[in-house]
Amino acid sequence: MESAKNAWKIHRLTTILLIPLIIYLFVRIIHFSGEPYQLILEELRSLWSILFILIFTVLGLIHMRVGVNEILEDYIHDESAKKVINFLISSFFILILIFVCLSMWLILIF
Amino acid sequence: MVQFNLPDNSKLTDGDYYKLESEDKRIKKFKIYRWSPEDDKNPRMDTYEVDIDDCGPMVLDAVMKIKNEVDTSLTFRRSCREGICGSCAMNIDGTNTLACTKAISDVKGDIKIYPLPHMPVIKDLVTNLKNLYKQLKSIKPWLIKQKQEATDTENIQSRNDREKLDGLYECILCACCSTSCPSYWWNSDKYLGPAVLLQSYRWLQDSRDEERKERLKELDDTFKVYRCHTIMNCTQACPKGLNPAKAIAGIKQMIAQQ
Repeated sequence: MESAKNAWKIHRLTTILLIPLIIYLFVRIIHFSGEPYQLILEELRSLWSILFILIFTVLGLIHMRVGVNEILEDYIHDESAKKVINFLISSFFILILIFVCLSMWLILIF
Repeated sequence: MVQFNLPDNSKLTDGDYYKLESEDKRIKKFKIYRWSPEDDKNPRMDTYEVDIDDCGPMVLDAVMKIKNEVDTSLTFRRSCREGICGSCAMNIDGTNTLACTKAISDVKGDIKIYPLPHMPVIKDLVTNLKNLYKQLKSIKPWLIKQKQEATDTENIQSRNDREKLDGLYECILCACCSTSCPSYWWNSDKYLGPAVLLQSYRWLQDSRDEERKERLKELDDTFKVYRCHTIMNCTQACPKGLNPAKAIAGIKQMIAQQ
């Protein structure tokens, strides 16, 4: 019997952590609106912005992964189909993480 | 994969119409789901006209009147007719409830009555609750003491501890909540459902019970509790006004604190 306690805790914890981050993100977006492109790039290059984006992405992806897994458990009852879909979803999330890291790197070097 | 379409032999057809003579009467139409395993016919909706001035105030009164006076083949469960036994649970006007406590006057227009949703139908409004009772048995809904001698004496409980059982012990196991839960529809073989989990929480909250740890260990599984996504249909459906969703949240909290 596989314990589901940890998945439930992770889902709740990431939810709580993401709430202030999402509010902060919206505040930043509103703050950025109307600002010149160069200034926005400068802001994004700061250590805090990079940390924020990485933390937000990692927490968001973990939250989404656990959430999607719940949906899979609900509706996909075939174990082999579940394994294949799980692999595809994990790969997709890893690709998103790579894409975000690559974007950050490009902002830093240009 | 979940099957989203009804199989052909489950599609509803129009059934017989039982018209009431005389036009002076206050007539209410009751559309009732009918299906019998004795023939190969699809389920149908029979319509019965009932004079509500010559009938008791509750839906169960009308259904019994139909069975007694119009169509004796209509099959349904009923017993106490006062909301205590839970036998007459059915889907009335789109909501799972007890026919004995649902007033005819509460429903505007025709009254549609179906068996409890997503349950195997035995006949007409009678559903097979075997799985629910099996799940109830699995949570051991009785007081467990470690020492046998402890059962020979009275188990005293403080007033505060007794109060913790309020809102839990009143459950009559009518299954209105479980059969209104989409998660239970999809995973009734593994997910325990609100009715059974409310019972489980009732024993977890009992200060006299000595098997709390074991009970929680048994529940900590991907399916038994965690298929609840707080949809709250259970709380809305409960004809006794209980809150199974809160009980399930309590179980999750207890497991997390272990």
